[in-house]
Amino acid sequence: MTIKRKLKQYTNVKKLLKTSRKIHKWLMLFIGIQFVIWSMTGAYMVFFDIDYIHGDTLVVNHQDKINPHDIQYSLSTLFSEYPSAENIRLSTFLQQTVYRFVVNTEKGPAQFLLDARSGKTLSPISESKAIAAAHYYSRLGKVKSVVLITDNPPFELSLRVLPAWRINFDDFGAPSIYISQATGELVGKRHTFWRLFDWMFRFHVMDYGDAEDVGNWLLFVVAFFAILGCLLGLIMTWFLVVKPFKNKAVSNKNKPRGVL
Amino acid sequence: MKWVRKFHKWASIVVGIQFLVWLLSGIYFNLMDATKAAGRTYQAHVNYQNPLDTERLVEPSMVLLKHQSSVAIELIHILDKPFYQLTHEKGLYSHFKNTYTLVDAYTSQQFLIDEKVAAEIAKRSYNGPGEIAEIKLLEPTIPDFPKQQNPVWQIYFDDVIDTNVFIETNSGRIVGHSDEHKRLADIFFMLHFMDYGNNGSFNNIQNMFLAIAALWLTLSGFMWTIHLGLKGKYKIRR
Repeated sequence: MTIKRKLKQYTNVKKLLKTSRKIHKWLMLFIGIQFVIWSMTGAYMVFFDIDYIHGDTLVVNHQDKINPHDIQYSLSTLFSEYPSAENIRLSTFLQQTVYRFVVNTEKGPAQFLLDARSGKTLSPISESKAIAAAHYYSRLGKVKSVVLITDNPPFELSLRVLPAWRINFDDFGAPSIYISQATGELVGKRHTFWRLFDWMFRFHVMDYGDAEDVGNWLLFVVAFFAILGCLLGLIMTWFLVVKPFKNKAVSNKNKPRGVL
Repeated sequence: MKWVRKFHKWASIVVGIQFLVWLLSGIYFNLMDATKAAGRTYQAHVNYQNPLDTERLVEPSMVLLKHQSSVAIELIHILDKPFYQLTHEKGLYSHFKNTYTLVDAYTSQQFLIDEKVAAEIAKRSYNGPGEIAEIKLLEPTIPDFPKQQNPVWQIYFDDVIDTNVFIETNSGRIVGHSDEHKRLADIFFMLHFMDYGNNGSFNNIQNMFLAIAALWLTLSGFMWTIHLGLKGKYKIRR
């Protein structure tokens, strides 16, 4: 390569670097903060085990077996009293064999909880029973507060499972256990780390509205310019860090040894 | 400031390429069709009739006595027919390890989800133009659903997007559909999560390592930007 050509290439690279630096600098003034948010929220999600986040360690997966002799109230009796019962299931709830089922009414589905011995209705679940259930489903310590949620559920609870008892525990990570008032079933579990995770996710996908939506236009616009900024950054990395390093290695290798 | 710049440069070497991969896969998630990416291109909403002749039902207590002990028994429908599903060992979620027995709710005969039954369930959940080409039994782990821990029937449809339907062998539950759209999306998820072993998880060492490098990169860049601002380097020249 002639000196002239080398010089020309050098000025081209210099121009490219100058433009890259300028655009990278200006882009980051506007979207740099989102880069920080992406890497902080991303790191949070990566470092906390997702099963821990989902509260799998908060709850006990009981394997209490049904005693068939407990079922004194037969299914045929159940159907004679509740002819349109659906989704019928039998299991153990607080050392008691119980029926659970749904009856679809004009006002929507109604959930039932019956004692399988007597056929007596066990719901709605009382506060003390809900606390007992929360202790049964979890290994958590002292109860801090109990709330019955009938409408406007918090972000972490599905509208479908209402009405539900929220039992807040005085334990590590401020855990809450949600018990359905109609069936006594465990319908939710949350702790600080999951609540934080939800926020991290929303910031990660730039969902600053109220729906958890990855397909929003704000994310698209910022990600588009972010890709541009990232490419320009990589150009600088190549010409300012990788290439000089390589050249240095090459010139070191070509250096005459033993002299000096 | 010299150290901030050094940090920024060296972090960019470590994580620069992956940062571009994160952004490109991220913008893919932003633009993709979520239904297709979930493999539900040809997934039909199944509306069962659920007819029930309550007179003919066997009592659940009788069924329980005849089988190994159960945590739960549920009256369910498979292909419009009632069955009791006995849960012997309950997983925390349905895709976790569960052991079930299915029993005909009228005759109390034990019922198995064989190839034919699985094919019929799959067909009803499918509204595409294809026909069933092949059926295979798969033990976990299942590449299309890495979190599923129970064996499944894999039903191949011969449509152009290679739809597969996965039916859990012990319950008849539809684990999900998968097709070329989902497999493409899964590649982007693999890249975004650095989940090269297809464990269906982003909690892996390589991801943690680069997450730290990414933090170095963005925080040093942030400091650099502030520094430039304070030094009055953000000026619009005319």
